[in-house]
Amino acid sequence: MSRVVLVLPGRGSYTERSMGQLDAAHPWVRAAEAMRAELGLDSLLELDRAERFSPARHLRPAHVSPLIYLRTMLDVERVRDRHEILAIIGNSMGWYTGLAAGGALSFEDGLRLVQRMSMLQEEHGADGGQLVYPVVGEDWRLIPERRTAVDAVVASQPGELFHSIHLGGQAVLAGSRAGLKAALESLEPIQQGRITYPLRLAQHGPYHTPLVTDTAQAARGFAEDLAFTQPEVELIDGLGRRHTPWGADIERMRDYTFGAQITGTYDFTRSLQVALCEHAPDQLIATGPGNTLGGICGQILVGLAWRDIDSKDAFLAIQEGKSPILESLDR
Amino acid sequence: MSADRVTIVEENLDRLLAELPASARPLGAQESLRPGSSLTAARARDLFEDMVLSRSLDTAARALKARGQGFYTISSAGHEANATLGALLRPTDPCLLHYRSGALFSSRLRQVPGSTPAWDVLLSLTASAEDPASGGRHKVWGSRAAWIPPQTSTIASHVPKAVGMAFALGRARRLAMEAGLPPHSDLPQDSVVMCSFGDASSNHATALAGINAARYAKRKGNPVPILFVCEDNQRGISVETPSHWVQDTWDGRRYLNFFDAVGEIDQVWDTVELAIRTCRQQRSPVFLRLETIRLWGHAGSDVETAYRTLDDIEKSEARDPIQSAARRLVEMGAASPEQLRRILTTTRTRVRAAMEHAVGRPKVVEATEVMRPLAPVEPEAWRAAATRALPAAARKAVFGRRLPEAETSSTRRTLAARINQALHDEMLRHPEMIVFGEDVGRKGGVYGLTQRLQERFGQARCFDTLLDETTILGVAQGAAQVGLLPVPEIQYLAYLHNAIDQLRGEACSMAYFSNGAFTNPMVVRIAGLAYQKGFGGHFHNDNSIGALREIPGLAIACPARGDDAVRMFRGAMAMAAESGRVVAFLEPIALYHERDLYEAGDEAWLSDYPAPDGSEDAALLPGEVGVHNADAADLLIISYANGLRMSLRAARRLEAETGKCARVVDLRWLNPLPVEAFRVHAAECKRVLVVDECRATGAGIADAVIADLAEHGFQGRIKSVRGLDSYIPLADAANLVLVDEEQILEAAREVSA
Repeated sequence: MSRVVLVLPGRGSYTERSMGQLDAAHPWVRAAEAMRAELGLDSLLELDRAERFSPARHLRPAHVSPLIYLRTMLDVERVRDRHEILAIIGNSMGWYTGLAAGGALSFEDGLRLVQRMSMLQEEHGADGGQLVYPVVGEDWRLIPERRTAVDAVVASQPGELFHSIHLGGQAVLAGSRAGLKAALESLEPIQQGRITYPLRLAQHGPYHTPLVTDTAQAARGFAEDLAFTQPEVELIDGLGRRHTPWGADIERMRDYTFGAQITGTYDFTRSLQVALCEHAPDQLIATGPGNTLGGICGQILVGLAWRDIDSKDAFLAIQEGKSPILESLDR
Repeated sequence: MSADRVTIVEENLDRLLAELPASARPLGAQESLRPGSSLTAARARDLFEDMVLSRSLDTAARALKARGQGFYTISSAGHEANATLGALLRPTDPCLLHYRSGALFSSRLRQVPGSTPAWDVLLSLTASAEDPASGGRHKVWGSRAAWIPPQTSTIASHVPKAVGMAFALGRARRLAMEAGLPPHSDLPQDSVVMCSFGDASSNHATALAGINAARYAKRKGNPVPILFVCEDNQRGISVETPSHWVQDTWDGRRYLNFFDAVGEIDQVWDTVELAIRTCRQQRSPVFLRLETIRLWGHAGSDVETAYRTLDDIEKSEARDPIQSAARRLVEMGAASPEQLRRILTTTRTRVRAAMEHAVGRPKVVEATEVMRPLAPVEPEAWRAAATRALPAAARKAVFGRRLPEAETSSTRRTLAARINQALHDEMLRHPEMIVFGEDVGRKGGVYGLTQRLQERFGQARCFDTLLDETTILGVAQGAAQVGLLPVPEIQYLAYLHNAIDQLRGEACSMAYFSNGAFTNPMVVRIAGLAYQKGFGGHFHNDNSIGALREIPGLAIACPARGDDAVRMFRGAMAMAAESGRVVAFLEPIALYHERDLYEAGDEAWLSDYPAPDGSEDAALLPGEVGVHNADAADLLIISYANGLRMSLRAARRLEAETGKCARVVDLRWLNPLPVEAFRVHAAECKRVLVVDECRATGAGIADAVIADLAEHGFQGRIKSVRGLDSYIPLADAANLVLVDEEQILEAAREVSA
């Protein structure tokens, strides 16, 4: 069995292509549908099978988060017995999914967590949002001036603009309207394909910043309802801390989940670096809908020059070879 | 042989874990192993992982060595109980570690999210340029994030600075607060400093000096939150430590709490916790003996059977602390054998896998990269910092109604007075500056150089130390690492040799071994050189700086005149403050109170004070020489300190006698030598005399100056005069071995003829 690290996606992963994949008969899908009905929310199966993809509807936090959760959990179930899973990392809400995928929460508790957090985000996240700006070139190598520019604009907007996620070659910033405006005005526009950066993320609040402290406080209200247990698989959080099956401190996991995970920078880059350096896996497996983290992981590998991958081309060459470093389940 | 023992010890552990029966009553993850102990089952399992990680890295080190890909095999095997310290100390308690602290390193880094202890150690073992501790320069335990300044620790030379750090922690915080500044370091108020060493190393003079200094400082009423940890494996390389030697030596001492951590892992945990708590709460020195064993010899190359019987070796192996911990964890229900097997297998596997990646990481391939952090050169920053104007009102508050530049009395215009005044100005400029040494406080220094500093800046910033140069330089390093800017005084150059490794092996190597992550900026004032008219003998007239000049990265300033001294001191302080440099400021005692140059009463050796008014020339930096008789070109005399004054006198006589005019260059900086400057003057004058008042062989700068000129194409006549290779005797006999004016004149005649 190959030694693998699972990489679980965040909220930005769901696209039109992700639709039509839920198996109505699967007990998890049924359990999710039951919970949705209880909460008076749209059926996930309906969303999954809708005639057309509606960003306003499908990407609403309360809809997209459980869709991603469900799809990720089903993916993890598929690969669980085929590999030796060394550790699980996730981006942003991927931490919540990871808790369930790694056995620190039951499927149901994980779903409740994801659902409740997404609803709180809708309730509390009206003002502000997130934007993405690449700090690497099209070859995935760091452009130091871009990083300096990003750091400078964050430093110029204390309390208004923050590093939200360290996401490989992408700087994800979050802030108030004023903070985002400053970033949009100050960062030089970059055209990559059809996308112009800095790119505002639709329906994303100022996650992973102190601006969502209200969300964190509200979330604590149901923190005790969730039955955290020792994980069965190592989890690496958004600070790069390892939570092992033998040593995980349940209270610390809970505190992190309802504290620093919500209001502090999520360092996805660091979590993958820790996974690579401390486990040296044969392969990374990106689960869940979409393939947003494939390139991100590639950029982090390039940053480390892991397995001599020092550019996008080198990464693509490895991917096309006999032993690709990254397997994406949603091709 | 030793590789076999590695396998045997590994197999013993495997066998134990295969055979151990499960506990009757498994504990919950957060349940304590024993009532009242803070060691929970989950923490104990983490601890076991840290111990096993350390062991796996030790086996990896040997595998790497066998493949020619690893460069260090001194292991932590048998010392893994030190993981308790890594788990119980806070990451903001600075740790200066023994070289067998692998498990401690692992458990401490566990407390710092995002850290990668296995990978970091593998990079270190393989000397990769990416090694975060030292950049591939040495196998050391180091981490900026976890406050582990790297130490080589083999000769306990890190003990004095650990004491210095503990001594300075509270003082640094208080001084920052009083100056209205943010804290000088990121260490919380109740931090303690931990310093570990082996039982054999506890006999080193540096260990004894450090522990003595901690007790002394406590006796004097200072908080000294230092935790000494002696990892006692009862052996130093091949030599057995007498039974109970560590306990007999350190238990029952006043001003030193003693703890003995022995027994099962949970008992060790509890003792370590108590020792730390005592140190933290009482702000007092604590000595903790941690019982360990040594597995696999001193290092990979050590054939242990040459001095131990197989039976003895096997007895040690039977006491393997990882086996003991495994037994205890299972016995107490803190872990199942299966859990421990999983930890062991997972850890071994991941270390082996990471090792294969680590061997391919980049190495250091350029000498410039090797030397990059050693002695940063940033003259623009230095100049800007050293020449920044000081506010007049603040200066008046310090100096009283008369500023140094307005002084007219000759006693206030000497070299000694000018250095004293410069110290006042710099104390004003740098609120983090502290001055200390023997007799520098109330007395104001043997020669009055630090007079009134304590009165004006308080006892916290100018204070007397005990009579020990090792301690003085240890305090300087420790204080510097917590953000102070120390200006220690070494009373006489000859005394420095008692402690010089604190500069050579420690202070000057800090930035180098930590790849620039840690620095210990300081300006060490040293009164020295000869010509005290027969008084004092050798120990007050030492004329050798060879031991300073060979220290990598050390800058040496040596002023001869008062005005130069002021400007050079500003430059030296800026080098320390801006670039973390260590600078020796060598002051010629015989010129401290000298007034005259050519004739009695001419007062030509007195000087005006360069006011700190923002002018560009208010400071001098390395490379900047003093040029006297600049228009002369018949002969170039290169000298410094007492030699400068004698050379100027000889030059005047030469001119009177022969009409030949000598240009005299004062080197001012004895390391690095101002080669660019003297090459130009030599080329212009075509004849060179080097006047070096130090002893002839390797003690001064003459060889280096002459070699440099020769290697850079100087074709003219060249000669030197130097002291004899002797210690300095008393009375007039001193002059028999020192360079004198007549010798200079004679040589000048010869060279210029």
